[in-house]
Amino acid sequence: MSSEPAAKVKQAVAQTSPGAEKGRGQTFLREFGRTAGLIGTILVIMAIFAIASGGLFLQPENLLGLLRYMSTLAIVGLGLTAVLIVGEIDLSFGAVYGLSAMLTAVAWISWGWNIAAAIGLALLVAICVGLFNGFFTTVAKIPSFIATLGASTLVFGFTLLVSGSGTFSPMSGGREVDAGQISWFLGLSNQDLPFGLPMGAIWMAVIALGFWYIISKSLFGFRLKAIGGNAVAAQFARIPVRRYKIWAFVICALAAAVAGILTFSFIGSVQPDSGAGLLFPSFAAVVIGGASLSGGRGTVLGTLLGCLLLAILNNGLALMAAGAFLQQIFIGVVTIAAVVLDQATQRWRKER
Amino acid sequence: MSAEPAKSGIEIQNLVKTYGDTVALGGLTLQARPGEILGIAGPNGAGKSTIVKILARETQQDSGRITLNGLPWSAERDAHRVAIVHQEPQLFPNLTVAENLLVGAEPSRFNRPKGRDANTEVLREVGLLEYADATVDSLPLALQQRTEIAKALAKNADVFLFDEPNSALTENESAELFDRMHSLAGQGKVIVLVSHRLGELSTHCDRVVVVVDGCVRTELVTPDINEERIARELVVGRSGAGAADRTAREAAAPPLLRLTQWTHRRARFADIELDVATGEILAVVGVEGSGGRELVRSMAGFERAKGLLKLGSRSGSAAQSQVAYVTGDRSVSLFENLSVGENLFVREASRLTTRAGTLNRSAAHRWAAASQKTFLVKTATLDTPIRSLSGGNQQKVAIASALAIRPILIALEEPTRGVDLASKAEIYRLLRDYSDTGAAVVMYCTEDSEVFDAADRVIVLSRGRIVGSLLVGAYTDAESLAEAIASLAGSDAPHHHHADPHPQDGAA
Repeated sequence: MSSEPAAKVKQAVAQTSPGAEKGRGQTFLREFGRTAGLIGTILVIMAIFAIASGGLFLQPENLLGLLRYMSTLAIVGLGLTAVLIVGEIDLSFGAVYGLSAMLTAVAWISWGWNIAAAIGLALLVAICVGLFNGFFTTVAKIPSFIATLGASTLVFGFTLLVSGSGTFSPMSGGREVDAGQISWFLGLSNQDLPFGLPMGAIWMAVIALGFWYIISKSLFGFRLKAIGGNAVAAQFARIPVRRYKIWAFVICALAAAVAGILTFSFIGSVQPDSGAGLLFPSFAAVVIGGASLSGGRGTVLGTLLGCLLLAILNNGLALMAAGAFLQQIFIGVVTIAAVVLDQATQRWRKER
Repeated sequence: MSAEPAKSGIEIQNLVKTYGDTVALGGLTLQARPGEILGIAGPNGAGKSTIVKILARETQQDSGRITLNGLPWSAERDAHRVAIVHQEPQLFPNLTVAENLLVGAEPSRFNRPKGRDANTEVLREVGLLEYADATVDSLPLALQQRTEIAKALAKNADVFLFDEPNSALTENESAELFDRMHSLAGQGKVIVLVSHRLGELSTHCDRVVVVVDGCVRTELVTPDINEERIARELVVGRSGAGAADRTAREAAAPPLLRLTQWTHRRARFADIELDVATGEILAVVGVEGSGGRELVRSMAGFERAKGLLKLGSRSGSAAQSQVAYVTGDRSVSLFENLSVGENLFVREASRLTTRAGTLNRSAAHRWAAASQKTFLVKTATLDTPIRSLSGGNQQKVAIASALAIRPILIALEEPTRGVDLASKAEIYRLLRDYSDTGAAVVMYCTEDSEVFDAADRVIVLSRGRIVGSLLVGAYTDAESLAEAIASLAGSDAPHHHHADPHPQDGAA
């Protein structure tokens, strides 16, 4: 239907003024302020650890180890960011992380599958868990908190079942594993790169780039944000809300699976309870990075910085022999402080 | 200190409030005395809502003095003495009506309050007793607002601030509300009414102040108060915002939309036969529960119905997907976390995307700038957060984002609820321009004046049936049209059905 408003829009497009650029600068400044604050915090904490550990913290080997831990956290955290942006929550990614590593190990070592097929199976199962979460959240209308909590237990049970609660390693399995496959698999995440750079960091960079494109540049990411901001309005605007939410859950599960398999590759063995300790640091990192548990907010850069901060705390406190208990307490305090600070600045912005 | 401090009401002196570069209040001075109804009129962004917000403690003034009954106003101490009935109800949707009245005034510090006993009288007075144990989110907007009013009454406040309280009430309900205002004034309470409806201001207020640009421009006292006077004060210095013009529509043209045996899934309406002509603006009128609201939603597919729906050459869901829909409730028609520009292009975004899935931001920005211009949205920049716009401009964004995708039909609910006069006229003109391009507009209205100002034809629903259809052009003034509508609606029993504020499962 050719219509007059269409013509008006076209006409007005032609005469759009350049003055409209100003506001974009303001938004940029605000986001920049947030990021700068986080970077500043990271630098201060690094300085404290550097001094307190007598320079040990800044040793290259230590920083590279820190980077490796961060990469696991970041891959998982980026998936979680997508789910939080769309306004849902996922508590099952830790279990998916564990299951995918275990499934890869069992199919490869016990069942004698080719390693590539085993990884394919693990990723496929992760996709199924994502679909499961998405289905129960959007079609059966169960709050995602409950649906994914259930999924988490279910998936963990499945991991125990498949593994017989045993630890698996290709080097010490009952069955003979092809040496070529072992070296290929370990090479995924455990090989020497220049400067001793961990392979995980490369994976993290590639995956983060992919997420950055999806979240900041694509229509998909824009709609995720819109749905997270107001799902009802999105439905009225004829955005396929369900499909997008299901996709977000699938992406999150896939990211967790990739992280699980890569960690298995790095360590060379897998235990049935791996991934159990990942839930809290991931949430902490993502929330510190600025994602909102009520939806509609979250960035790749923020999540990466949040993960970096968490990795630094984890590493630095361990270096100073702070003990596991003290570490927990400290990370809890930092998480709450970050959110309180963020909320306060949000309110301040609204007031202005 | 005066001997009788309890009698002087609220006095506001030189109130100043700025938001960044925007001056919301520029030294506003006014007084509200006990026993009178003070009206506040003013265009969009004139500062009306800011006054309310300051008194409601939602924000603080930069400078200026407020006194209550001769004593300096203290937000802490006087909060309970000022009751605010909001434009959009601010209730706890998950609590019952009775519980909402008790929040903040729980009789016991420890026990969960039990229900309604404490406020039975108030609930009966506003006709909510039978809904006392219903949760607020299960009630239609009209009843939610009545709950808000009941809450104010239950607090036994000295000052009653009504901020567009009846924007979603029917004529009868509004009349009841105004009776209540008069009786409260009779008891020596201070009543302030913020409204866009000049008729109501002139009928019910003892005094009307016209606020423009954050200051009081004029004060009108009883014998001088009439619609024309207020309107003249409001539009001084503005381009003429006359009533949207009407032209008679040719009945002979083939209908753009045709509904045959159109029946709601849960029988909110049944066997509707309706034609809407190309270029026509059709108003749908009926109290909550009459099925009018659901009928308009069903055209866009957001209420499930069976029967035959034909739009142009398409039918069924293929036709419904060509209908853009805008709710009356801005909290579910706009995206709070997106900017003005993003809200404008959100429906168009898929067409501003490359084949690879990249959203073309600069094209989107140009698109948003163009619709901002076409639809007369007043905003500092396109990247401004949507919540910082005035109500009227937010509503324009909501409608613009729907019109800009060029639907064949646009279905709206209460298109100018809580919107100032100037924006109202602009929205009517936009709808008229749009319908003139070979499209059509269907809107569910709760105000007869809106029907008169904007529509070509009105259908009246009662208990799920169309009980009459009137050509608006046959009436010379809004009052006679309102009478005709009322007589068609007849003695419609109070509503018991509830509009669902959310779209239905799978209906999208």
